[in-house]
Formats: sequence, structure tokens, C-alpha cells
Amino acid sequence: MVGHYMKSKRQIQKENTRQKILDTAYRVYMEQGFGAPTAEIAREAGVSHGSVFSHFQSLNELLECLIEGFGTSLALEIRRLAEESGSVEELLEMHLVILSRHEEFYTRLMTERSLLPKEVQYTFANTQTTIAHHFSRIFEEEINKGTIKDIPTHMLYSTWLGMIHYYLWNKDFFAPQGPVISRYSRELKDTFLTLIRC
Amino acid sequence: MKICIACGMPMENASDFPGGDMDKDYCVHCARPDGTMQSFEEKKASTVGFIMKTQGFDESAAIEIALNGMKKLPAWKHCF
Repeated sequence: MVGHYMKSKRQIQKENTRQKILDTAYRVYMEQGFGAPTAEIAREAGVSHGSVFSHFQSLNELLECLIEGFGTSLALEIRRLAEESGSVEELLEMHLVILSRHEEFYTRLMTERSLLPKEVQYTFANTQTTIAHHFSRIFEEEINKGTIKDIPTHMLYSTWLGMIHYYLWNKDFFAPQGPVISRYSRELKDTFLTLIRC
Repeated sequence: MKICIACGMPMENASDFPGGDMDKDYCVHCARPDGTMQSFEEKKASTVGFIMKTQGFDESAAIEIALNGMKKLPAWKHCF
């Protein structure tokens, strides 16, 4: 029993340290970009550099776990809200709320994606497919009702993301002192709806 | 909560399961009309088509994204 208990405790400690490394990596990459060294993550997390690689076999594995976790949680948030959402307008609003909660890290992903290993880029793209699916479903419903224009749903989705990403890319011009999405969310949503409504 | 072994989708409600059968380990989207699970090639083709339709990506990128996701799923690990 004692051995079993000790093992569980060690296991819990191990999981806690792993989570701490992931949480710290999220913050360090968000603040410094994906070029930040793992030694910096270890220092910020208060663990040895070697400890990072006892929890993750390689930098790629750390990035893979981090980005997959981030992408999956974004997709789950969208999925839950999309199931309650009845209209494109509500979905757009909720999408902006969710992105604004993660604005800094999401911006890093958009602007520095090419710095990540290909596998990690594919992993993130895969999680985003779920989000595209929910957009596609709700766009189709409104196209069928005749409330929005009959434009291929992937173009509606790309156009919407294109607007948001342009503001994120140029945040220093659009909102140098604070978050860009919350500042422009109404304008982005209203403009997009004006463009697509029948 | 179960996760579909063939696509990774969380399965929360009976409507997520083929024929509402919550004992199944795969979701309604990974089932054939007769309720059996799609093959690797069928799932690959439908996933690639899905990515292209919803996001408009080039087919070669859609294949890479689909295979990268499939290789981590219990149903397809043996295919890689």
C-alpha cells in the first residue's frame, strides 16, 4: 500500500511539473516568440534544464504538446458555443470573444507559424479544422435560409479569418497600447456581416 | 467522455455515436451507412475532402494535415 501510495504521489508530482513546464512555455513563447530558448523556459518554471527533457523527449515534443493542447482547447470552446449558437452573427461574436482571451499566443502562432516544425504546424492546422467545420455548418444553414450570400463556405471562412489576422499582424498600428480584437470586434463583425448578408 | 478512436472527436451525446450506440468507440462521422467503422483509405479520403471543403487548402497540404492527425489516433497507429 505504501509503495502504491508513494508511486501515486510521484506520479502526481511528475504531472504537476510537466504541466508547469507547459504553462511556462506558453507564457515564455507568448512574450518572446518561438525562438525563445528552452533554458529560459526551465529558468522561468524553476526547474533544471534537464528536467524539461525528462518530461519531453525533444523540443519538438514540447512544442507539439503545447500547440496541440492550445488548438484543442480553442476548438472545444468553439464547439461548445457553436452548438448553442443559432446564427452566423452569434458565432462571429463568440469567435472574437474566444480569440481575444488568447490574443497574444494566437498572434504568435499566426505570425511565427513558419518557425515551428512542420509536424507542429500540421497539428495546429488539424485542430483548426474543427473550428472551420462549425463555421461551415452555420454558414450553410444561413445560405439555405437565404439570409447570407451563396458564397463557398471556405471563402467565407478565409475572408473572416483574413480580416482578423490582418488586424493581429498589424496590431502595433491598430492598437499599440492594448488588445486589438476587443477594440475592433464590433467593427470587424458588422463589416463582415454587411458584406455577406443578402 | 469517450474520444473517437478514428478521428479524435469528443463524443458526449448519443447523437455522436453511430445509430446512437454509446458502446461504440468511433463516432457517427467515422461510420459507414451500415454502422461499421470506415477503413483507413476511406477515412483518409473523407478527412482530406473535409479539410479542402471547409478551408479551401491545396490537396497536398490537406493530405499532410490529415495523415499527421490520423497517425496519432488509436484506430490508425498500425497503418504508419
